[in-house]
Amino acid sequence: MRRVLSTILTVSMVVASLAGCGGSSTATTSAAAETKSAAETAALQDSPKEAKAEELTGIDAIIAEAQTMSLEELAKKAIEESNGKTFYGVGNSSRGKSALPVFIEYLKTIDPSYNMEFEWQQPKNNKIFEQLTSDSLKSEGTFAMTLIQDGNQIQSKMVETNILKRFVPKEWAEANGTTPVEYKGFLPLQTLNKVFMYNSTGTATYTNCWDFVYDGSHPLFMGVDSEIVGKNFLMMLTSDKYATWLKEAYDKLDDTKKAYFEPTIQAMQSDAADLGLGSNGAYALAWIKLWVNNYNEQTDDGPICNTLVDASAKDQAGLLVYSKLRSVEESATVSVNNIKVAAYEDGYTGIGGYGYCHYLFLTKNSPLPWTACAFIAYMTCTEEGFDAWGKDMGGYSANPKVAADVEAKYSHSTGGGDEFPAKNDRGYDWWTSEGKGELVLEDPAYCAEVSFSVGSWIDVLDKYTPGA
Amino acid sequence: MDRSIQPDNGAIFKNKLKTWFSQPQNIILLLFGIVLTFSTVAPIVAIVKDTFQIHPGTIDQHLTGRVDGYTIVNYTDLFTSRLAKANLWTPLLNTIILSVLTCVISILFGGLFAFLVTRTNMKFKKYLSSIFIFPYIMPQWTLAVVWQHMFYSNKVTGTADGLLAAIFNIYFPSWWCQGAFPSAMVLGLHYAPFAYILIGGIFKNMDANLEEAATILDTPKWKIMFKVTLPMIKPAILSTILLVFGSAMGSYPVPHYLNLTTLSTKYISMNSTYTGEASILAIIMMVFGVLILGMNQMSLKSRKNYTTVTGKSGQLTKLSIGNAGKYIVGIIFIIITFFTSIWPILLFALETFLPNPGDYSFLYTGNFAHLTTKWWVTNENITENGMYGQSGILYNNTIWHAFFGTLFLAVVCALIAGTIGTLIGYAVAKNRRNKWANYVNNVAFLPYLMPSIAVGAAFFILFSNEHINLFNTYTLLIIAGVVKYIPFASRSSLNSMLQISNELEEAAIIQNTPWIKRMLRIIIPIQKSSIISGYLLPFMTCLRELSLFLLLCTQGFILSTTLDYFDEMGLYAFSSAINLILIVTILVFNTLVNKLTGASLDSGIGGK
Repeated sequence: MRRVLSTILTVSMVVASLAGCGGSSTATTSAAAETKSAAETAALQDSPKEAKAEELTGIDAIIAEAQTMSLEELAKKAIEESNGKTFYGVGNSSRGKSALPVFIEYLKTIDPSYNMEFEWQQPKNNKIFEQLTSDSLKSEGTFAMTLIQDGNQIQSKMVETNILKRFVPKEWAEANGTTPVEYKGFLPLQTLNKVFMYNSTGTATYTNCWDFVYDGSHPLFMGVDSEIVGKNFLMMLTSDKYATWLKEAYDKLDDTKKAYFEPTIQAMQSDAADLGLGSNGAYALAWIKLWVNNYNEQTDDGPICNTLVDASAKDQAGLLVYSKLRSVEESATVSVNNIKVAAYEDGYTGIGGYGYCHYLFLTKNSPLPWTACAFIAYMTCTEEGFDAWGKDMGGYSANPKVAADVEAKYSHSTGGGDEFPAKNDRGYDWWTSEGKGELVLEDPAYCAEVSFSVGSWIDVLDKYTPGA
Repeated sequence: MDRSIQPDNGAIFKNKLKTWFSQPQNIILLLFGIVLTFSTVAPIVAIVKDTFQIHPGTIDQHLTGRVDGYTIVNYTDLFTSRLAKANLWTPLLNTIILSVLTCVISILFGGLFAFLVTRTNMKFKKYLSSIFIFPYIMPQWTLAVVWQHMFYSNKVTGTADGLLAAIFNIYFPSWWCQGAFPSAMVLGLHYAPFAYILIGGIFKNMDANLEEAATILDTPKWKIMFKVTLPMIKPAILSTILLVFGSAMGSYPVPHYLNLTTLSTKYISMNSTYTGEASILAIIMMVFGVLILGMNQMSLKSRKNYTTVTGKSGQLTKLSIGNAGKYIVGIIFIIITFFTSIWPILLFALETFLPNPGDYSFLYTGNFAHLTTKWWVTNENITENGMYGQSGILYNNTIWHAFFGTLFLAVVCALIAGTIGTLIGYAVAKNRRNKWANYVNNVAFLPYLMPSIAVGAAFFILFSNEHINLFNTYTLLIIAGVVKYIPFASRSSLNSMLQISNELEEAAIIQNTPWIKRMLRIIIPIQKSSIISGYLLPFMTCLRELSLFLLLCTQGFILSTTLDYFDEMGLYAFSSAINLILIVTILVFNTLVNKLTGASLDSGIGGK
């Protein structure tokens, strides 16, 4: 048996090796070209409307036409296309499953006889990319659309490979003061924020984002390998804008803390130069290094939240999804008031967390493209369509009109009242403003660009083991 | 007439062929040899191919500058880059330590327990035998979560205090809380029932005359143990090592929850940006699997005969451990199994009434008012009830849909894998010196030695292409489950069939008894408990399998992925409830099988 197996393995390895050798001649020449601006690449490929409309075919032509239509017009097209059929969607958020029946109800208000079955899948871990890739091989795919996070991988695995197609609803663009043709980015459904919090039952205080990487601090955080958006956050810190924020926060530290950080910052100068970072790049690298060296890895934000709100977690800190606070039940030892949101505290300086998006795309071989466009438009342009997400704090519609409607309906800004001030969500504008929440926002193009420079640099950093 | 008689080679060949095909075991071996070769080799080829393939958006694209084609850069980068230690050598070392420790713990604990139950007059056997298998019923990582709840502390692990720290101010050291030791303990306890079932099965059927003969010859007890008893159970120990080593190596959730970097956890963490290199890790795990299999083969070649069940009369005398000893030892095991089997279940049940996940504050404040039934009875998910957007367990469609899907999957997998495995075990035992039989036996076993995650990934690649897409279908899960679980049945069947002397079946053959009748009336009844184990083990394993199905379906499709989702999210009330549902389901099935067939997973050994 071993002989048979070894023969099969050997043959397959030799064949594959030969194939690899055959193609390797181009490898070195294009290695540098690979780092070409992801933004440029994205802009070139993701805009079917940039080609002349009459030259477009298939899904691109449908998208180009759909981008000129109102939600109601799209809904009528969807009814024609999908009545009696089954709609398959796939996403990182399970709430697509809640949004679909509401969408079907909306279509029924236009045509009461309309009906559509649906299935919403939420693959585990990183599998959504492989699932979409394999589905893209078929002439007609299974999935009509996707709701997906991690701009870095979307850019490099889905958009540059032409697997996903961007559709920008006309009304969404108008609400954002632009047009589908002018808008160049991916279409975000919402921005989610992960924010610094700390348990306030002890004596520790965190008044500067550098305090989270100061001596003895081991904040709870999902590992950068298990949730790639966390790694995107770290990579984003090296962009000029956020490196400057870090530098400014550093300047406000007292001399003792500056003395603690100074050697690390100096040690990072040459790496920053090697990685081609801006003038404050060393500050970003120093913060990243200390963060990776010290964060206490947890499986998810849920357990982090459970830990931090417990009175026994004295002085512990964490970086976690803000909305987790919504479900904390008050008990003898657990309370929302056991934690503080760092950025909400008077005198806090520096970044308050990071923001990442859930993006919406059609698949290139979408079996129900009109229905997918209508569903996307419904979620991004109406409060009802966004309600599956809007009912919770910490998720902000990318449509300002919808965001205002959500706030009017749910009053997230005063959701905690005087009793639980940490739950009074200050909203997207506050969180993303300099000198306020200072969220680090994910830029897919930048992340993809530095994924194997800064990203690989992060990979080699030592990680913290409790008690080691 | 001077015509010499010429042999008709064609007729001879035809007759040989006819004779060969008249043996049912030959047909079984031919058929399954072909099928299993494909089902085993295809995933291996798929993974090997993946190690050479360029994946867009990953390191191989970055290093080659190409978006498709093939390359060896994944190999060079994994073995020679500055990440080699972090991505390969350290996880490899941790994996070996974990696998070896797990084998040692499970064999010592399970083997000792099997000995006490089957060969001594220890008390409380029926209760202990039933309770001992509980850790195997529970998904392995749930014990890891229990470990966290018990031993973690703010002082040592930098988290909230666990029960022992909160109530008794006992702080366990870091090595106890996280890393290789707790991972091996959890996996060892989880797989100890393997050792108990396999070793106990042999102990139970072993004729004590052999040991008594040694006793009569005044052989010291330790010598009897090492020269008579242990050699007789050697096949079962080797089978346990094979099953446990491969399982521990391919276990993802336990080291993931207890913070140990192994090849499996690395496989998952590298998969997004180091996809091809992750597949090499899978290959390395497979190589280990093949090495273990090879060592087992070498060991088996040296053995002469392991027949313990013959047509002759035999008897099983119990070793007396003393009038007091039989109670003391029984009570010690009642205490041990309380903590390994009962305590986790109590915690699971308690968890579903806590106000917040892991919030046991009522225990040390005495305030029971905070306990709640909301996790069970909330019938909507619109209002914010501290339910994280979920309906209560009784009304949670996701949980119940997953439950019935899992039940269907487990039953189908158990029936197919159990039947195929039993037939293979029988056929191999009948042709034990035959090379093809040896090949079929090994090729059937190989998938078990491959890491579950890698097998899952390979099946995903195989069945997700332009021609066929079986992702998130029961068909795909059943195919993967059957291939993976045949070894349970084939090993269990082979072990038991090797014990049956040929003379029993030969007597029936002389009387022209058809093969089916021989199987149903002689072979299966004799080794009923082992054969039922061959069905129940795949059933139980399938019910809470995660690593294998992780990549083949979505969250909420089956119970284990749903359970893992809730555990990862920290919603322990839901995951605990699912655990309870699983345990009750398995116990119900175990009882049902016991009532219908008189056999069950444990009763054949020491349950009665």
